Amino acid sequence: MEFSGTFELEETTVDEVWLALSDPVLVEQSLPGCEFLIRVDDTDVDFDELRDETTDREVEPTADPEVIAERAFEEGGHYAALMQISVGPVNPTFETVVTIDHREYPEMSAVGEGSSSNSSFEMSSGMSLSETDDGVAVEWETEADVFGKIAQMGQRVVNPVANRVVKRFFSSVQDQLRERQLAAEGDATADESDPTESDRGLVDRVLGRSGSDSSDS
Amino acid sequence: MSIESIDPDEVDAADILGSAIERREDPALITGDAEYTDDIQRQDMVHMAICRSQHGHAKLEDVDTSAAEAMDGVVTVYTHDDLHREDTPGGGSYSLPVGWLLDSLREVDHPILADDRVRYQGDAIAVVVAEDRYLAHDAVDAIDVDYERLDAVTDPVDALEDDTAELHDDAEDNVAFDWEIGDAERTDEAFESAAHTASIDLENQLLIPNAMEPRAAVAEYSPGTDELDVFMTSQNPHLHRLLMSGVIGHPEHKLRIKAPEVGGGFGSKIHHYADEALVAWIAKHLERPVKWTATRTETYKTDAQGRGHRTTADLAMNEYGDIVGLRVDTTANLGAYLSTFAPAVPTYLYGTLLSGQYDIPAIHCSVTGAFTNVPPVDAYRGAGRPEASFVIERLAKLGAEEMGMDPAAFRRRNFVPEDAFPYETQVAVVYDSGDYEKTLDKALEMADYESFRERQEQAREDGRYLGVGFSCYIEACGLAPSELAGQLGAQAGLWESSLVRFHPSGTVTAFCGTSGHGQGHATTYAQIVANELGIPYEDVEVVEGDTDEIPHGMGTYGSRSAAVGGSSLVKSSQKLVDKAREIAAHQLEADPADIEFEGGEFRVTGAPDRSIGIKAVAQQSYLAHDMPEDMEPGLEATSFYDPDNFVFPFGTHVAVVEVDPKSGEIEFDQYVAVDDVGNQINPKIVEGQVHGGVAQGVGQALYEGAEYDSNAQLLTGSMQDYAVPKAMHIPEMETGSTVTESPHNPLGVKGVGEAGTIAAPQAVVNAVVDALEPFDVDHVEMPMTAERIWNAVDGRTEPDAETETPAAAADGGTDDPDTAADGTGGDS
Amino acid sequence: MTEHDITLTVNGTDHELTVEPRTLLVHALRDELGYTGTNVGCESSLCGACTVHLDDDAVKSCTVLAVQADGATIETVEGLAEDGEFHPVQSGFQEEHGLQCGYCTPGMMMAATDLLEENPDPSREEIREGLEGNLCRCTGYQNIVNAVENAADEMHAGAVADGGCPADAADGSGSCCGSDAGDVRWPEDGGESE
Repeated sequence: MEFSGTFELEETTVDEVWLALSDPVLVEQSLPGCEFLIRVDDTDVDFDELRDETTDREVEPTADPEVIAERAFEEGGHYAALMQISVGPVNPTFETVVTIDHREYPEMSAVGEGSSSNSSFEMSSGMSLSETDDGVAVEWETEADVFGKIAQMGQRVVNPVANRVVKRFFSSVQDQLRERQLAAEGDATADESDPTESDRGLVDRVLGRSGSDSSDS
Repeated sequence: MSIESIDPDEVDAADILGSAIERREDPALITGDAEYTDDIQRQDMVHMAICRSQHGHAKLEDVDTSAAEAMDGVVTVYTHDDLHREDTPGGGSYSLPVGWLLDSLREVDHPILADDRVRYQGDAIAVVVAEDRYLAHDAVDAIDVDYERLDAVTDPVDALEDDTAELHDDAEDNVAFDWEIGDAERTDEAFESAAHTASIDLENQLLIPNAMEPRAAVAEYSPGTDELDVFMTSQNPHLHRLLMSGVIGHPEHKLRIKAPEVGGGFGSKIHHYADEALVAWIAKHLERPVKWTATRTETYKTDAQGRGHRTTADLAMNEYGDIVGLRVDTTANLGAYLSTFAPAVPTYLYGTLLSGQYDIPAIHCSVTGAFTNVPPVDAYRGAGRPEASFVIERLAKLGAEEMGMDPAAFRRRNFVPEDAFPYETQVAVVYDSGDYEKTLDKALEMADYESFRERQEQAREDGRYLGVGFSCYIEACGLAPSELAGQLGAQAGLWESSLVRFHPSGTVTAFCGTSGHGQGHATTYAQIVANELGIPYEDVEVVEGDTDEIPHGMGTYGSRSAAVGGSSLVKSSQKLVDKAREIAAHQLEADPADIEFEGGEFRVTGAPDRSIGIKAVAQQSYLAHDMPEDMEPGLEATSFYDPDNFVFPFGTHVAVVEVDPKSGEIEFDQYVAVDDVGNQINPKIVEGQVHGGVAQGVGQALYEGAEYDSNAQLLTGSMQDYAVPKAMHIPEMETGSTVTESPHNPLGVKGVGEAGTIAAPQAVVNAVVDALEPFDVDHVEMPMTAERIWNAVDGRTEPDAETETPAAAADGGTDDPDTAADGTGGDS
Repeated sequence: MTEHDITLTVNGTDHELTVEPRTLLVHALRDELGYTGTNVGCESSLCGACTVHLDDDAVKSCTVLAVQADGATIETVEGLAEDGEFHPVQSGFQEEHGLQCGYCTPGMMMAATDLLEENPDPSREEIREGLEGNLCRCTGYQNIVNAVENAADEMHAGAVADGGCPADAADGSGSCCGSDAGDVRWPEDGGESE
């Protein structure tokens, strides 16, 4: 199956978005159903161990480029994620391992695979950022093979699920970016902010002024 | 116009054979009393569920069953190696055998539990046994399988490509076999000298049988006697007993297979699968009754599928429209392993039927069987014959067009003439009897073909597109004799066995080795036996489907039950009457040669008042107080009937459809089925078989098809995604029949179980293509979905101006119904 | 897993049973209570083989949890015949050869009785549409449509002849007016006597 789309993030810059999407912590917190997303040494991952390790960890969301740079995705790096996705009547938890195979501003691509007790998937994804009139366009595409019970439900069921995950992810990224901006504005230029403008922007963003689509393979 | 059924009480004994009596099976079925396999309950019974492959093709790196085993209520979990442990029952092959061999066949191993490799999604990896069915399924989900995914292939042509991953080490290039029939050289010559040719490339898509009752088995074992009883959804219990005995290593005489009520089969319950063998083996190992019932999802992943051909075919004609040659090249999808009779289906059940109803002097057919990552492909209702009939009947349509002839007239011109029977085709079979014009004429009349072209013309002027499609089909059933079957590669004889037993009180039990599952055998067999013995219909009980009760049997498939099983019952009855005649002669103090038997009475010729009824004879035979010298007491007889030949039913089906090029929708205007199945034992049951067969054929034409993605993941894995036709999808059918008796069996019967399925697809496709003639559409692949129709007309809602001309020319030329009815081939 | 005590009235008989929250009604009926006339064809409400009446409405019992049916009145195929006489739908199926393997038949008949309750005089088209939730793989549906028409005629005749009905057969049988077995099962009898 192939999915692709463009998500538009408003009132932000390519730099800001790149920074945000480079941060595993922000990605973890934006991915719906994601229990953890952490760097691992190789693709042979013991998820039971990771689950124990991650129960008490503390992760700090931050906008500080220095901190993010420390933990940012790295080309060739492997990342393990535990994600629960509800697909129709089933809620499988996928043990997922992703490898960043290309990362060069403003483009990133990754391959990965995930498995649950009766379903699994393999995917390769890419995204690139570009500036638009009032923000940033994230063009993304994913090619995925799904197996087992979920595959049997067919594209009819899987497509909307994929769209839902992507949409929630970027909406969350947008929210986090906005929070950072507000925080930054609050620090630096609190007096100059125009409440009317800001409110309208917030309404637009809550409405998720964005587009995404998917197509059959 | 449907046949009215009759209360059997209102039928005179002498008329019982051939009466459309109501079925005696029905009361149990309509009250819920009938017992299907899953209805069986046993004390202390455990439930089995199977962990199947998630992938179409993969190596098994690790199978971790520990979490499943630790669950409350889970009795045990088995994987491949457990079959070979010292403390589990041994001696079996634990691999499924193939029951039909071909010279070039690559016999590949088919383990009942996968060892280190899975080759389709249904491949069984582990088996859970638990105290209830829900727990068993929970535990299956807790099994952790580590796969290394391999490239998969589902298309048989792709499978043969050099760079395609191979499924089996001992099947190079995924070739299962290469096979041919006919005379290649003579066929090439025919094409060289041909004045006209017609060609087609087609796919006969994979179908999923969808018997309403999923496969199921219950097994129980008595350690004291070593008896292992298996109740299962079987079309052929004796065959299952023989095969299972080898698979699990349990002696045949200690193994009982009983088919309780079976909810449809359509071929899918012929084959020996892994699942039922596992149920039996586990019952023996655990010494507890075990039940397994497939979920619908499992039936979609594991029931042997049908069809799956990719074919190129050419028809050669001389300048007058006589067919002079037929060349067919087919690649057949066999799925991941060889199912029980898989090699026979795309070869001897296909190539031998390609001559259709036509006198074709040169035919050649080559078939390559290909392994792919779909479930094993085997017999599904029709099995090879629908594929053959589809090829020749699609070509007949195209051939007629090429000649500018009416399609009915073209067929009539090329029919094997009525006086040519028995007729030996160029593809190794001898048609026993036939009268093809008779069914065609009747069908043309019922469809009012005379006025059709006019209606079609008028409709086209109104922007409506009507089409008529013909299917003049032939089927072959009751594959025989066994000697021939053996020469062709069958690893079984194809006779049928029966036992007819009088009880001392005068009632009769008839045992037959066929195993009905909806065909009404209890009714029709009782009609046959009552007629032979001259006793009341209600005095005959019929028993099928139990290896402990029935001497032997080959089962129910290939429309063989009436022709072979019914004939066997006639033979047994006749043997019984022969013995009864001697007893009667002794009792009447006459010579057996002077004893006549009619209406259940033995009479001395010329002295009709000296008589004794067969029931009285039966009583005497058991009293045995006064028997002929050297005669054993009792009155029963067994026969093993091995027919001389196949029987060859035939007929003409006509579909009239309207196609909407705007929406791609197809509506039936009419569906006419005229079948000649020889003598009919029960015309109501015959009609029902035709209806059901046509529905499955219409399903193939319009709705059904197994679809896989490039990883061999089944995309049509539920009744939501695989369109089993509903009531509103099936047209009202008008059925008619003619009777041409089979000359070589005692009932003069042929077979009807598959007729509709064989006939319908090409009738519908031909009709749709005929409707779309103004759009220059000459083929639409099945299933003909609205999308495919829409694509075929390429978004046009009106025909191109120039394409209408040839159609008009044809109408003005040879599309004259009178000519069609008379036949244009005066010189043929 | 926590279990629940529930009560089901099946074909007029009260049953108390203990089920898991996830137990499907069809499994409670078949495995717990022994009403095996109702068959399971797909476990996903697509084939209709498991159709029963739940408080007088046709439902697919593979998509109803047993706990949801707590306290309900259920009618299965075993309850169709009354006093040893077939329901007109049952005799319709037999007379018209509306069944072959019989697996879909109990569900089909329960759907048909519900259909006739809603629409006592359906056209063939309406019957086909009304049975869209029930699959049959054997009959091609034509004789099923005939069977339902036959039953509708029979029930209609029964209703028209209401006053003339034997009192013992007319009691509480709702839309179906029972008459003597000969009339219900074998309409040919009636045909001859007219």
